[in-house]
Amino acid sequence: MGDSYSNIWSYRLTWLYTLLVVFTLMLPVFYVIYISFNQNGFGARDYVFTLDWYGDIFSDLLLLNALGNTLILAAITTVVAVPMGLVAAKFYKTTRAKLFTVSLLLSPLFVPSDILGSALLVFFKNLNIACVSIGDWLGVGWFDDWFVLGYFSALIGLIIYTLPYIFVVILITMGRYHEQQSEAARSCGATAWQAFRQVEFPQIRAGVFSACAFTVILTFNEYTRTSLLKGGYDTVTSVLISQMLNEGMSEQSYAMSSLVSFIAIAVIGGTILYTLIRSEGLGREARAKALPVMSS
Amino acid sequence: MSTMKQSNEAAVQVTGLSKNYGSVQALRGVNLSIGAGEYFVLLGPSGGGKTTLLRLLGGFIRPSGGQILLHGRDVSEQPPNHRPTSMVFQSFALFPHMTVAQNVGYGLRLRKMPKREISERVDAMLEQIGLAALAERMPHALSGGQQQRVQLGRSLVLEADILLLDEPLAALDAKLRKEMCLELKHLQEQVGITFVHVTHNQEEAMTVADNLAIIADGELVETGDARTLYENPIRRFTADFIGENNMFHGRVVEVNGPLAEVDLDFAKLAVDTRGQAAKVGDRAAVSIRSELVWILSPGEEPADALQTMPATYGEAVYLGLATSHVSRLANGDTIVARQISRDEISNAFSAGTGITLAWPRREMRLHLS
Ligand SMILES: Nc1ncnc2c1ncn2[C@@H]1O[C@H](COP(=O)(O)OP(=O)(O)OP(=O)(O)O)[C@@H](O)[C@H]1O
Ligand SMILES: [Mg+2]
Repeated sequence: MGDSYSNIWSYRLTWLYTLLVVFTLMLPVFYVIYISFNQNGFGARDYVFTLDWYGDIFSDLLLLNALGNTLILAAITTVVAVPMGLVAAKFYKTTRAKLFTVSLLLSPLFVPSDILGSALLVFFKNLNIACVSIGDWLGVGWFDDWFVLGYFSALIGLIIYTLPYIFVVILITMGRYHEQQSEAARSCGATAWQAFRQVEFPQIRAGVFSACAFTVILTFNEYTRTSLLKGGYDTVTSVLISQMLNEGMSEQSYAMSSLVSFIAIAVIGGTILYTLIRSEGLGREARAKALPVMSS
Repeated sequence: MSTMKQSNEAAVQVTGLSKNYGSVQALRGVNLSIGAGEYFVLLGPSGGGKTTLLRLLGGFIRPSGGQILLHGRDVSEQPPNHRPTSMVFQSFALFPHMTVAQNVGYGLRLRKMPKREISERVDAMLEQIGLAALAERMPHALSGGQQQRVQLGRSLVLEADILLLDEPLAALDAKLRKEMCLELKHLQEQVGITFVHVTHNQEEAMTVADNLAIIADGELVETGDARTLYENPIRRFTADFIGENNMFHGRVVEVNGPLAEVDLDFAKLAVDTRGQAAKVGDRAAVSIRSELVWILSPGEEPADALQTMPATYGEAVYLGLATSHVSRLANGDTIVARQISRDEISNAFSAGTGITLAWPRREMRLHLS
């Protein structure tokens, strides 16, 4: 920033302010991490450092099960919803009915989570009743439990929830892509898939990966829809919240929360660092290659 | 002109080709034939349908009607990668995540050619387009002219039979565009394949073209070589679009052998029909190129072969090499006489002076459509 006339102090203050805001927002997380290392747990007078609670996570079957369920939900949601968002973003770029498409895709954002959750709940219950009655009437039972609340219904709720975010994140990176490049690839002999895979995807990869990371975080975070639709399964969030509503969080739950935060921070921080280092590297490479022009 | 141009085989044969975008008729029943090895230019005003026609040839859009034959093969239902064409775009078409060499070699890699052969061919192509020193650069570190040359290389290395170019020089400045025009022309003569080049720039078109087609309003107006279209256009639109022509509008009042007499209300002109079937009562236009019109000196007797017309002098517009003298005819229309700039003429008349304009009779052209 030294190349302009702007006040260096206003620049530093801006940074300071930003860091302060981020720090304030993250403070509760730091507090949870702080507690997770305390032998005496939440609200205790004396602080004794320990790693015991982290060890206890692995003997707490309730938490472990919940973590497993959440990971499965996150993985399947990502695998299903991200390609859907990608296809939707590609469709949006070519369609002429842009307003309709974007309204349709973003509409889940405008429905409050409890309303969408309960609507889906009622919907699945009715579907289930319909399935069972039709089954009875036909004398077969093999689709009786298709729409019983469980993984499947929770997944549908999560996909509806995450799809708009995925769509927007991917669309933003796609905005900088020039469609002629796909056409150029086609005219070099590429099939539509090769043009996508070899020319378009490398340029929107960052957006697709961000969308994946975003989906996992959203899935971990989501309580209302998931808890309405999950049936008998527990997820990390539902366990933590039910503990809080009852006897208060167990010490290993603090440890679990911290662990999840560590992983999230590591993933996001790692992504940012990788991107920065990479773009720095590319910039240096480009500068190195920009030797004096030999021919005009 | 180069020698092997007029072979009998048509590289492109288009019949009744049309394309609608919703209610917009971008192309209406176009018939066109382009000979193999020709440098063919599609020229016309913005929105005329040139890009649409080119993209139909390349297979990027589906025709609404009609047929496309490339080297005798019906390709109307074929995607771009199954056609004997390759395309060069106006801009932003290089793959930004690949080096110059990787861009040029992309199509060869798709063909699963051995690595050694790819690199040999890419090197040879880079040599040919003068970019051998820049093989490892990324596209964003190239100038506009260099980028367009990489695009050319990427297409030419595939040895496709037909190269399609959509305003390949439009993003370049005027001087570079001129240089690249000649380069393109010479490159085409070297490789000998058919080039179909879209532009709305007349000078660019005339520099490179063996043959041109004028496209306007979704229709093919006229085809011919540059000289024919410039000196001897049949259609009114062509005369209006190419060069700088003065145009008179009137009606045919008499047909007398090869001559038609056209009444302009304030004057009558006898013009060669050039084989057009003129009938008494037809609406007609007569055009004369502005560089063939001059102002008679006061008292000068016009020769017999000259057509003269009285006018009121307006102003002189200095354009460097030439000066345009703008005058008004009896009916209020403007008429332009374009002459090599010389002080004597430019200062000889003041606005409002009555003058007489003259031009050779045989240079007048009758337009019935
Ligand atoms: N995708 C599209 N949807 C709707 N209309 C279109 C589309 N593409 C082109 N058109 C219309 O078709 C007509 C012909 O367009 P085209 O791009 O072929 O013109 P052009 O001759 O290439 O013009 P320019 O010199 O400005 O590039 C125009 O009226 C244009 O508005
Ligand atoms: Mg165009």
